[in-house]
Amino acid sequence: MKAVFLLQWRRFYRQPLLVLAMFVLTIIFVSVSAAGGEEEPVFVPVYTESLKQEQVLEWVERLNAEKQFAFKWMQPSEARSYVAEGDVPQAVELMEADYRLLVGREDPARLALDSMLRRVYSEELRLEDAAQEVPEIRELMDSALSDPALQLSAASLQGKGEADKLQLLFGMTLFFVIYTIMFSLVRIVDEKRTGTWNRMILSPVRKWQMYLGHLSFSFLIGFSQIALIFLLFRYAFGFEMGDRFWLLLAIAACYTFSIVALGLMIISLIAKPQQLSAVIPIVATGMAMVGGAFWPIELVTNEILLTVSKVLPITYGLEALTSVAVYGNGLQSVMMPLAMLLGFGGICMAIAIRLLEWRSVS
Amino acid sequence: MLKTDKLTKKFKDTLAVDNVSLELRKGESVGLLGPNGAGKSTAIAMISTLLKPSSGDVRIHGKSVLKDPGDMRRVLGVVPQKIALYEELSAYENLKFFGRLYGLSGKKLEQRIGYVLDLVGLSDRKKELVKHYSGGMQRRVNLAAAMMHEPEVLIMDEPTVGIDPQSRNHLLETIRRLNHEEGMTVLYTSHYMEEVEKLCDRVYIMDRGKVIAEGTKEELKAILSDQETVWIEFDQSYPELFKKLSEIEGVQHADVEERSLKLMIPKGMRLLASLFHEAERHGAQVTNVHVQTPTLEDVFLRLTGRTLRD
Ligand SMILES: Nc1ncnc2c1ncn2[C@@H]1O[C@H](COP(=O)(O)OP(=O)(O)OP(=O)(O)O)[C@@H](O)[C@H]1O
Ligand SMILES: [Mg+2]
Repeated sequence: MKAVFLLQWRRFYRQPLLVLAMFVLTIIFVSVSAAGGEEEPVFVPVYTESLKQEQVLEWVERLNAEKQFAFKWMQPSEARSYVAEGDVPQAVELMEADYRLLVGREDPARLALDSMLRRVYSEELRLEDAAQEVPEIRELMDSALSDPALQLSAASLQGKGEADKLQLLFGMTLFFVIYTIMFSLVRIVDEKRTGTWNRMILSPVRKWQMYLGHLSFSFLIGFSQIALIFLLFRYAFGFEMGDRFWLLLAIAACYTFSIVALGLMIISLIAKPQQLSAVIPIVATGMAMVGGAFWPIELVTNEILLTVSKVLPITYGLEALTSVAVYGNGLQSVMMPLAMLLGFGGICMAIAIRLLEWRSVS
Repeated sequence: MLKTDKLTKKFKDTLAVDNVSLELRKGESVGLLGPNGAGKSTAIAMISTLLKPSSGDVRIHGKSVLKDPGDMRRVLGVVPQKIALYEELSAYENLKFFGRLYGLSGKKLEQRIGYVLDLVGLSDRKKELVKHYSGGMQRRVNLAAAMMHEPEVLIMDEPTVGIDPQSRNHLLETIRRLNHEEGMTVLYTSHYMEEVEKLCDRVYIMDRGKVIAEGTKEELKAILSDQETVWIEFDQSYPELFKKLSEIEGVQHADVEERSLKLMIPKGMRLLASLFHEAERHGAQVTNVHVQTPTLEDVFLRLTGRTLRD
């Protein structure tokens, strides 16, 4: 087994390009998208014909609290000329219990702007209604927000940008490592094709040792990729990942195991190299999309997709990493996702072993 | 020492190997000759324990390999028909790995690598990547890899396909030396007659899954002892004349080429008189006539009515 394992490193040393490409791609995707996420909020002029100055200031403050757009109060004439000259696509007119958009040209952000305004307005109006009955509601709200019952909301409130960046990092890392792992397992299929596999079978080395040599290499190369990327982003790019880095590595190890097992199952089902090179990207991208590697899983609303995501290792890997790195949770709280990862891996491995044995007998 | 007993392999609807019984004695060099698709590779896969027979048995030192392939695997060195190497690695790295599979290490491993590299004449280029080698050099490493564990029996499946004459001669010479000087038992598969004639003491001829003839080269050629092959060359092509000559009474087989003709006739048949008579009538000029002793190729032709390369 050791000889088979060491040979894979030798081969990696001679042909490192594919793995390095996955490594570099992860870094590029994460750093480019993370940088994109820090763009200046879009400037939106605000004016009024009817409200008093203090009312307007209150509204502007409320709207700017959302951080999505930068609202700035100005005279109606000034706002209109901004729109008329095409400097901004739209401006907002504030009214007592309503708002109006002054539209100059088409803008992809309008939908987001409109829905945000509607939400803030309706929240505010509901609060005002409630205040009619319970005058001290605003104080209650404020104290509740500053002393939250749930730690979760506190953490997510203070570091929203950080959380997004971590989500992106974890998603991309877990996505690209699927390629690294699966393509290194494809070597088994290649060996069967070229005949080096038969040479090994004729030697005193046992079949399980041959598989184990390959599997342990794939595991180690996958795990190293994740660990190196985490280290790089933590120390070189200054990503804040909480104080339980070892737990992140433990999660990475469980995830890597599950993907290695899944890969082995796939190659036990599909024996042709050309078919594999079509199937692997489909599996990797499909899992990543549904499992929340490209966008937060909270955005997925389709029932079927949500159900599917419940059986994907990437879902649990992301859940566990986020829980530890963003919300500062400990081992206790990630036991369930870790168990899911190991269980998933175990099942795939069992299926793969059955299929592989079966094929060798015929 | 190695025996197959009514070895048979059936793939869905093809009977690839049909009741084949072979025997290899110690120190012998045996040829397995047959055209494409004869079932040679399939037979070898079963002998080397890589494929389970549909029926029949393979024995090494009298013990069946079906239950315990271990004995066979220890004794056997297999040179596969396809080049089975890690082409992104060097020859040296490949041999090192295959040696380690057999538990070799350290000085012993290095010595063995040195020995087999010498054997195939690649010592001075061992650091180059296999993919940069010529086809012939790859074939040589393919042989070297099967020699790492000092096998007693070497089984080669068409080790010379698609290589240049120089590499081919080198390879054949190496095998001959192993057999003659080191007493290695050799089973050599090929569809090249000349190779088998040059290399092997005994020959099995296979066609469509069956062994159709076996024996020493002399015994096989004795099948044709009542025959002669006459090879006639003309100054140019005469299709009509060739057809006429092929149809002369007594001619058993005719092989027509561009400007020449090969006729198989019974010994003692008086062909030449009619040959020159017909040539005269067609205004053709005979530039060469040659009466050959039969080759294994002719034996195959006689047995199957086809040439080996058909
Ligand atoms: N795995 C397989 N499944 C189905 N048919 C097979 C399989 N392997 C070989 N055959 C068939 O068995 C027959 C014998 O094939 P084999 O490869 O043993 O011939 P061969 O004598 O080695 O020929 P060649 O000189 O081309 O190597 C062929 O008709 C081939 O198509
Ligand atoms: Mg063959």
